[in-house]
Amino acid sequence: MTATTSKPLPQSEATPLGQQLRGLLAFLGSQEFILALGIVLLSLAVYADNPRFGAERNLLSILSNSAYIAVAALGMTVVIITGNIDISVAALLGVLGTIAGQLAVHDYPIWLAWLAPIVFGILIELFIGFLVAYLRIPAIVATLGMMSVLKGGLIFVTGGAWIYDLPKGFFLAQRQPLGIPMPIYFMFALTLLMAIWMRYSATGRAIYAVGGNREAARLSGISEKRILMTVFGINGLMVGISTILFATQFTTIQSTVPPGVELTIITAAVIGGVSILGGSGTVIGAMLGAILIRTIQSGMIFVNVSAYWLQAVQGLLILLTVLVDIFRRRRQMSAIGK
Amino acid sequence: MLKKSVVALVLVAMLLTPVLAAPLKAANDAPSRMLLGQDDLPTNPLACPGEEEAMEEPAATEEAEEVVEYNGGQPVDAPDLAGQDIRVLDLPKLIGIAYFAATTKGLNEAAEELGNMEIITDAPTEASVDDQITFIENYVTQGIDVIAFASNDPVAISPALRNALEQGVHVIGFDADSEPDAREWFVNQATFNGMAKAMVDSMVEEVGADGSVAIITSSLTAPNQNRWISEMLAYADKCYPDLNWLETVPSEEDQQLAFQRAQELVNKYGEDLDGIFAMSSVAGPGAADALTQMGVCDQTITVGISTPNQMRPFIENGCAPKVVLWNPIDLGYATAYVIRAVIDGELLPGATEVEAGRLGTLPVINGSEILLGPPTVFTQENINDFDF
Amino acid sequence: MTTQEAPQERSNLQLSIRNAFLGQEGVLVVIMVIAVIVLSFTSENFLTVDNLLNQARLMTEVGLIALPMTYIIITGGIDLSVGSIFGFSAVMLGWLWKEQSFPLEAAILASIVIGTLSGLLNALFIVYVRVPPIIMTLATLALYRGMAYGISQARSARGYPDWFFQFGQRDFLGIPTQIWFLIVASIFAWILLARTPFGRGIYAIGNNEIGARFSGIPVNRYLLFIYVFAGFMSAVAAFLFTSRVSTTRADSGTGMELDVIAAVVLGGTSIVGGSGTIHGTLLGLVLLQLLKNGLSLSGVKGDATIVVIGVVLILSILINNYIQKRFRQ
Repeated sequence: MTATTSKPLPQSEATPLGQQLRGLLAFLGSQEFILALGIVLLSLAVYADNPRFGAERNLLSILSNSAYIAVAALGMTVVIITGNIDISVAALLGVLGTIAGQLAVHDYPIWLAWLAPIVFGILIELFIGFLVAYLRIPAIVATLGMMSVLKGGLIFVTGGAWIYDLPKGFFLAQRQPLGIPMPIYFMFALTLLMAIWMRYSATGRAIYAVGGNREAARLSGISEKRILMTVFGINGLMVGISTILFATQFTTIQSTVPPGVELTIITAAVIGGVSILGGSGTVIGAMLGAILIRTIQSGMIFVNVSAYWLQAVQGLLILLTVLVDIFRRRRQMSAIGK
Repeated sequence: MLKKSVVALVLVAMLLTPVLAAPLKAANDAPSRMLLGQDDLPTNPLACPGEEEAMEEPAATEEAEEVVEYNGGQPVDAPDLAGQDIRVLDLPKLIGIAYFAATTKGLNEAAEELGNMEIITDAPTEASVDDQITFIENYVTQGIDVIAFASNDPVAISPALRNALEQGVHVIGFDADSEPDAREWFVNQATFNGMAKAMVDSMVEEVGADGSVAIITSSLTAPNQNRWISEMLAYADKCYPDLNWLETVPSEEDQQLAFQRAQELVNKYGEDLDGIFAMSSVAGPGAADALTQMGVCDQTITVGISTPNQMRPFIENGCAPKVVLWNPIDLGYATAYVIRAVIDGELLPGATEVEAGRLGTLPVINGSEILLGPPTVFTQENINDFDF
Repeated sequence: MTTQEAPQERSNLQLSIRNAFLGQEGVLVVIMVIAVIVLSFTSENFLTVDNLLNQARLMTEVGLIALPMTYIIITGGIDLSVGSIFGFSAVMLGWLWKEQSFPLEAAILASIVIGTLSGLLNALFIVYVRVPPIIMTLATLALYRGMAYGISQARSARGYPDWFFQFGQRDFLGIPTQIWFLIVASIFAWILLARTPFGRGIYAIGNNEIGARFSGIPVNRYLLFIYVFAGFMSAVAAFLFTSRVSTTRADSGTGMELDVIAAVVLGGTSIVGGSGTIHGTLLGLVLLQLLKNGLSLSGVKGDATIVVIGVVLILSILINNYIQKRFRQ
């Protein structure tokens, strides 16, 4: 829905009822609704085949495992909305996790170990933002370079040693207030905050404006550079929080870059309906995208897809989701065009 | 436009037919799911517990009879460096995991004892055989005396190693072998069937001979893991025919994925799942962490191949009561001594044993392999004796 | 074009020399000369014929794929699935030969056809369904890799006959055989881009796709061709790779797309489209390989080398931006 707010709706003398109907239709046609429907239908299909899938514990596992991807995908979505991309997130995740673990293991206060990844995440992403906004290096190049630097630097500094014997209080993600794993609270709360902020704050709207039409945004007095810095800063914040959820889940921290995570995060954002060309997309879609990916992964185990075909089926389902989004978008465009 | 769309659809359908057919195939063919992660090589299960004493003698003589000829390769015109300082490239599968940090530590320990050996550790950050080949080529060009490798693929790495031999570089394998003629010796941490026996015996001690078990392996293409799984199935077939094998799932070298896979297995099979074999040093902690956090260790446990430091908390809390591994520090240490013995002309083709410092004398098996010894099973009793 | 007056041509020539020095290619040549001088001092084994030929052997696969990737990026697109097509074709080669008892020659051909078809699938969706290239190829990145695992059942095929290794492990006329493939393909790709209506069309699409359509350029056909070409080249690279390493693995080529894109981008092709050259890409490719190799020979470890490459990537674009701003206006 937010996807199209930047475009004026066709003028019509619709009655309140007509407007409501139109609103309902817009909602039913939104990528968020389609994704939510996809998650539910897929879950039901798997559940019909293997009822154990529907157990509360399993559903909570899926959500909990989606959380760090979802939170990172929130930041990624905002970056992609401005027409940029960040492929260094996985490397950053590895670096920040190591920083947090090293602080915790060297008897610094726990809150510092939690805060550090956020602060460093923001700083590093602001640096990327600086490269992109002020030095005019395309984001894909800047982050490709940063990925190398972070990945190599991490091994160079740590030698790849794992971090053991973390203090008990460090494991934030293992806590389960009210029987629900902590990462789930983070995922929903952050998504909600981001969704509200993107929709109602001036900066949020400016982000869409920059992604939608740079020139028009500039003419209307929006500083593109400032917006880009903000966007990468937010991404850093999200990667920082995502790191905490990721790193405090395990008893040991692996001082390496988790393989292929950047692709999972970008995929979550993309199937969440963010347009890679910029200008549209929602954070709720990104969260649902992350959940859908995990549901597919988990569901396939439950319906006994051969392990050799797991990846292919996953790729196929992702392709289908993307195509649905494309067709939906096209129909909306032509409806507006009329 | 329409025609082209149709063409596109037909093409998609063609490409995807096997994908769509696959889930059905797997579901209808349940036993084949268990065969996942195996290779096609012949298996050689060891004697079952209890039969051991009876079998010991004949088995030993049998092995002695079929002595395999030396089948390694030899460097061409290698300079005589006996007693001199040498530079050794330590090329593990990847850097950044605890296991290979330990083998490197062992190599350096031995190098310090020997005093005339310099170890240079360099390897890709991901387990890629293509990157390993590049490292080999670069170091051969740069001029190195010895390459000690643990291969990511036994076949793919071999041409590069043969080239190194041709350039007069000594080549010794450890942990994961190449083709025999592409290296002089291979330091074998534990025989595959020995590992398989230790794993399955440990599991059966925990879950009983009729328990239900699943496997979390690393990558489906990992040669060592596939070999172990083949041998485990063969051994269980022979000794514990009632052991119920449920399923094998891959987890790559990714702790988070192993964690998730373990959760899925527990959720899928519930109390029907008694044990999980975790087949890599990354899968072990991932799976044990999942079982711990789910609080199901009274019904499902994991037996893994992993290092004691990673597994200590889980050995102590009972979620991973048994962890099977050789000592990777000893593996690195033995490798360094083998290298020295080769350079000094003490380990020649046809030798039957080699001196390895504090480890004593190690036997030569299968023609050109040096055997470190039987695997160690870490339990609550002995875990505190190890720190790596 | 050919009947222009002589003075005009000369000033064109001067202009293009000036452009060459001030463009990304010029920056690259300078960086490369510096790198070669420094590295040849730090390692005596660096500047030897054997080493350089060997390095050329190692970079061939990435180089072959970088050629069509240059076209694609010039049009403002991208293809993230090349590494997966590479793995998929390699696996199909081994699988058809070993499991399906194809003659090896037929298996090679079939694997190249399959790679090409994989490219065609990308192309059809990108061109006719108008799925943005990055999204389409992100999805097929997962799909093709999955096909590679699924069809091969993660088994590797090995034990090829001796003649097969001619392509990847031996020499032809004194140079590693696969380099001939790279040379021929590069010349072909260069001529196509720099000297034909197709090349001009590619630039036009990158600068303004809608404008290109209106000016009668067969945009769809061109776009279709470049993604198919990428699939084809990935498959050829996979064949050479299989011959070099003598086995096929379902995970070969993982992450390769980033190496390819790095070479193209370092070579001065703008990621937003509209500019770039084949010789730039080749320079980028060679510089990356020289850095990796030279640093390693000078005793720099792999992890530090990755850092240096990242920094060089960012710096070279930075310097180029600066020069463009300073001298072009």
